[in-house]
Amino acid sequence: MRSILTIILNDLKIYSSQRGNLVGLLVIPVLLTVVIGWSLGRIGGGGPTRLRVDLIDLDGSDMSAQLIEELRAANDALVLCPPDNDADDYCRLEDEPLDMDRAIERARSGRTSALIAIPAGYAAALNDFQTVTIDYYSRSDPMQPGPVLQSLNAVLQRTSSASMTKGVSSALLDNLTNAVTLPALDGETRDSFLNTIYHRALQLSTYQPPAVLFRVVDANEDESGIDNGFNQSAPGMGSLYVMFTVLGGMAVLLRERRQWTLQRLMALPLSRAQILGAKIGVYFTLGMIQFFIVFAVGAAFGMDFGSSPPALLATMAAFVLCITALTFALAPWIKSEGQANGLVLLLSLSLAPLGGAWWPLEIVPEFMQTIGHLSPVAWAMDAFQDLIWYDGGFTEVIPEIAVLMAAAAVLFIIGIRSFKYD
Amino acid sequence: MQTMVEARNLRKTYKRADGSTIEAVKGVDLDILQGEIFSLLGPNGAGKTTTISMISGLVAPTEGDAEIGGYSITRQPMEAKRLMGFVPQEIALYPELSARQNLSFFGRMYGLGGKSLSRRVDELLEFVDLADRQSDRIDTFSGGMKRRVNLAAGLLNSPPLIYMDEPTVGIDPQSRRRILDTVKMLRDEQDMTVLYTTHLMEEAQELSNRVGIMDHGEIIAMGTQAELTQQVGEEDRLEIMTGAQNVGEALIGSMQQEIAGVTRVLFNPPEQIGDNGSESTPARLTVFAKRGRTALPQIIQTLDAAGIDIQSVEVREPDLEAVFLALTGRALRD
Ligand SMILES: Nc1ncnc2c1ncn2[C@@H]1O[C@H](COP(=O)(O)OP(=O)(O)OP(=O)(O)O)[C@@H](O)[C@H]1O
Ligand SMILES: [Mg+2]
Repeated sequence: MRSILTIILNDLKIYSSQRGNLVGLLVIPVLLTVVIGWSLGRIGGGGPTRLRVDLIDLDGSDMSAQLIEELRAANDALVLCPPDNDADDYCRLEDEPLDMDRAIERARSGRTSALIAIPAGYAAALNDFQTVTIDYYSRSDPMQPGPVLQSLNAVLQRTSSASMTKGVSSALLDNLTNAVTLPALDGETRDSFLNTIYHRALQLSTYQPPAVLFRVVDANEDESGIDNGFNQSAPGMGSLYVMFTVLGGMAVLLRERRQWTLQRLMALPLSRAQILGAKIGVYFTLGMIQFFIVFAVGAAFGMDFGSSPPALLATMAAFVLCITALTFALAPWIKSEGQANGLVLLLSLSLAPLGGAWWPLEIVPEFMQTIGHLSPVAWAMDAFQDLIWYDGGFTEVIPEIAVLMAAAAVLFIIGIRSFKYD
Repeated sequence: MQTMVEARNLRKTYKRADGSTIEAVKGVDLDILQGEIFSLLGPNGAGKTTTISMISGLVAPTEGDAEIGGYSITRQPMEAKRLMGFVPQEIALYPELSARQNLSFFGRMYGLGGKSLSRRVDELLEFVDLADRQSDRIDTFSGGMKRRVNLAAGLLNSPPLIYMDEPTVGIDPQSRRRILDTVKMLRDEQDMTVLYTTHLMEEAQELSNRVGIMDHGEIIAMGTQAELTQQVGEEDRLEIMTGAQNVGEALIGSMQQEIAGVTRVLFNPPEQIGDNGSESTPARLTVFAKRGRTALPQIIQTLDAAGIDIQSVEVREPDLEAVFLALTGRALRD
């Protein structure tokens, strides 16, 4: 055991004596984690402060104009296109007319947050106390209404309750004129009376606190919880750089064989298990150090570590072990250091995005999520998510850890069997 | 005298990348006695490194076994390895570490530590005369200095037996001299047993108590230098460098028959060497003759008459080179 530790310490000393290694282990991962963490925070944390919303008014009535005004008043972040377009063409209409088809396409492609279409006959329907449907197109999940839908709902709620009040008043008026034998009202007086009621009701409900609340949150002010970009970037960059660092061991093993230091070790009174154990220990240790470095950056930026440090450590260890095993399984087949370095790049840069190290796997199509789970990164990221985002404990990450450990076991068997002593 | 290394029927077959196999060592028997310098002498690719790798436990023999001080290298590798030091043909050191760090690390691997480790490292740095450069990184050392540290690393555990695989390759004459003196010192002052490989006849001749001559994976002759040279008899060897002309079979035949004392004549035509064939070895005629000096005038006369251009003539007493030539028909250095 003492000789294993001596070898590990010696190899770490050699590793750190090479300046390039320190840049790879420390400088680049730290910079990338900061940049990506900060960027993800900007995008996912709060969202932009202005929302592009297409609006098509097929009614063109006073009532629809009023609805639009209400909508504007309800949320000043909405930029209604085309009416509220600015000189910079924030609406990106490029001076083309906005018809229904184009607007639907814009909403579908995500260029606008939503499309609100007021149908022809909106005012007439409201006047006759009939149901009217306002079409709302958006890519966002209707179960989790975004700010646009929330605003629209609030406005429509008020409009329909005002309309209902008007309807109730109208029936009341009919009953009253019949029951109390008041002189029959002429049409114009009646309409004017009901409209006054409608507007009064609308006014009252506007001053009532709305049923649905929303606000646009500035990413910079919010550094806690799900919104912190480092909760994604630190585990993601950590996994990526663990792969760079640990898989890099393939080239080092090859170099040690070429410079005969591995052979000198083998001529010493050491068992093969000791030598192999030490070499595995070296890359496992380097991988863990890499994770700690990146997570330290996350911690400095307020990253959340969940509530189960042992489970987090176990996840890190399982992932590093899996990548270490992959290194030893591949090493015997590698012929040159150039080949090894190429393979490190190829594997790291494909397994990382595939497994969701750069962006959460939730946002990719389902079949890509399935394929992604061929990458050990996906399992690690799943576990990190359970721990960091959803505050899970050991039980939640046991399946992921089990998968990583099983893969590690299989790869180690391959690696140890084909390790060349000659 | 006690036997230190006893190898029996060592064989190693390597698989090449294309699937074919190469028999690098073809059944070697070897006995190295306690306190002697034993040299394995052979040209490049003869199988010296492969043999040393098998008896040091680095490479598993395809067949056969070796006992080191009574311990089988295949069945009791730990015990056997504790008895040996190893100086590989390559500079097996960490280039990023200093001489001292390298020696300390390998010393720790032998279980040394604390004061005894640093004392041993001091001793060895002194021994190979590098105490003043001990803190410099290996990759800043000259070839000769690296070789000396490489040698010191094989001596850390003060082993009774040491293997040295071509320890003088690629260094200047002074460094070579130093290493050869060191090897003799190990035997004469520390009573160590040394297995030394080389492709240089002079080194084997200077150092060895006994020599094994190796070629194509086999030991083709073994014994003291006197025993070996006896095999080629009392013949002198005349090395005659000739010009570009070919020495034909007819001329060789007539020399063997007509000149008194000549027993055998070999002709090596010029060979292209170097990366792009830019250089060539001179053509060489080797004549074995009893009392070579007496036969010399007549040999020169015969060659002259045949129009052969003679550039130099050398008369050699029987030596290891002659033995190799006699056994293989090739010169060692080719
Ligand atoms: N790992 C290997 N795989 C395949 N062939 C090998 C291997 N090691 C050695 N050989 C072959 O075995 C033969 C003997 O090689 P070896 O290194 O033992 O020779 P050597 O006498 O030490 O030569 P040199 O003086 O060049 O060091 C050579 O033909 C070599 O190409
Ligand atoms: Mg060799």
